[in-house]
Amino acid sequence: MSDTKPAVAIDAVSKRFGRTLALDNVSFAVRPGELFALLGPNGAGKTTLGHILCTILKPDGGTARIDGIDVVSEPFKARQRLGVVFQEPTLDDRLTLYENLNFHGLIYGVPAAARRARIKDMLALVELFDWRDRLVRTLSVGMKRRLEIARVFVHDAHILFLDEPTVGLDAQARERLWAYIQRLRSERELTLMVTTHYIEEVEGADRVCIIDHGRILANDAPAALKLAHGQALLRVVANEETTAADIMATYADRAARKGADIVLKSDGDDFAASFLARYGSRIRRFVVEEPSLASVFLSLTGRELRDQAASARELTQAFGKRGGEHTR
Amino acid sequence: MSTIASDTPTRALAPQLGGLYAIWLREVKRAIRDRGQLIGGVSRPLLWVLIMGIGLNPYFRGEIYGEVRFVVPFTYLQFIFPAVIVLNIMYTSVQSAVSTIWDREFGFLREILVSPLSRTTILLGKVLGGATVALFHGCLVLVLARFADVTLTPWGTLTGLAWMFLLAFGLTSLGVVIANRVRSFEGFGVFSNAVILPLYFTSSSIFPLDPSLTSAQSKLVYPEWLVTLVEINPLTYAVDALRGAFIEFHQFDPRIGPIVLVVMAVGFFLIALRDFSRA
Repeated sequence: MSDTKPAVAIDAVSKRFGRTLALDNVSFAVRPGELFALLGPNGAGKTTLGHILCTILKPDGGTARIDGIDVVSEPFKARQRLGVVFQEPTLDDRLTLYENLNFHGLIYGVPAAARRARIKDMLALVELFDWRDRLVRTLSVGMKRRLEIARVFVHDAHILFLDEPTVGLDAQARERLWAYIQRLRSERELTLMVTTHYIEEVEGADRVCIIDHGRILANDAPAALKLAHGQALLRVVANEETTAADIMATYADRAARKGADIVLKSDGDDFAASFLARYGSRIRRFVVEEPSLASVFLSLTGRELRDQAASARELTQAFGKRGGEHTR
Repeated sequence: MSTIASDTPTRALAPQLGGLYAIWLREVKRAIRDRGQLIGGVSRPLLWVLIMGIGLNPYFRGEIYGEVRFVVPFTYLQFIFPAVIVLNIMYTSVQSAVSTIWDREFGFLREILVSPLSRTTILLGKVLGGATVALFHGCLVLVLARFADVTLTPWGTLTGLAWMFLLAFGLTSLGVVIANRVRSFEGFGVFSNAVILPLYFTSSSIFPLDPSLTSAQSKLVYPEWLVTLVEINPLTYAVDALRGAFIEFHQFDPRIGPIVLVVMAVGFFLIALRDFSRA
């Protein structure tokens, strides 16, 4: 590792909730300027780690440092340096866009002139400037997310923790959000920690840390992960059913049927060549699937990413969202 | 873009004051924009003073052998007027506490909790904001003073406002204490029926305990449990303090009211702060 001070240093952090070990002796470092992705299913411990970083939770053991500042012993200084975008929106629906950002600037102690200039810049960047005097409750989910990204920069954070920033957004809104984040990265020094369970989003990360059941399974650049743990696949469709049965019999140890498709685990080009030499004239379709992070994840954890679990507070929230009396 | 966040040395007080102002301002803005709350704040005193007060006004006296005697030397309207102020403040304070539940459930509280503000600043801003709004709703009742035959003297109004603010501060803190203990929530109605109205009705707000009678004698006129409830309800003394300020009438030692108000404000705030720092 280089001799520069890491932007975020997690050292042997553990956290236990009752009987569940949410984080088990987790250690890693994020270098300045890096886009660091934490990939794992819901309940893997990503959010717990985020909460420890932004000082909402205290770790049971180990240390977490932001810019060299210990989050337990100096929480106020640590919070000043960190920008957080939580999984659930944390905007005030009854305030306007401008008021929300101004509130953020005030509680982070940003002087008035800088505050005004930054709010203007950031609203323009996420293309919400024309909406600045509208109430936040009138925005779509995607717009709210963009506003939250903009808000983090009102106090000029250099280290950002984004917890599932794109959850609940459609594909178009997700792409747009990433475009803003990439643009911000190109304009200033920015260290980004992103948690996600959308695998396609971490392809562009500098490093991917795969975490499950509170333990780190792998932590490396996407290409290196694919090389180490990935699995190339051949997807073929046979001309006739007899050929399909023949293929299944020949490669019984590495073949699986999915409807008309036969999926074969490949060792590389040699395997593909030998397969084509034997069956090349009797198949209709032949696709080589390069190793993906999805297959890396599958081989490391032995399963696909889990779906979103329902939260225990949904009753109360549903009541509020229905517009229950005197709520928001 | 400059790097204010990392260059400025963290001075202890100035950023905290800015944050305090931001949280206070947010509470006030939200309350002003909440039509439902405003309508309640205006209609409640109208109903209690103009309908209940005027309706019961002629019956607020005892008649013994053709001789008219008043238990207290005031009309019912005058008697109930300070209590309606308390009622309005109570509703608004508890409502602002309910908003902390929604802040928690909808995540806005997190935005504040991860900021460089201390928990004391956050809670103080919240309670001051709620108390300001509650004080404003209390003042809405004062507008009706002429209809209730209450003359507002400068000194009386000033002390009255001071007691009103202390009450609002204490009740908003109490609301936060309750809100911190509520884990699942299905609306404000529960609070209204379980907290506000029982406290209001047992605070000697709508019926007097004859000040010329001792506690023991009162217990002969009213059932013992009721007198006991009234006497242990701290709001009784808040209402008494406001009666002292606005109509110069006390049922209890005039020194008790202010003491109870200060103890409530400080005590509930400290309990709220303890809960809040732990959470």
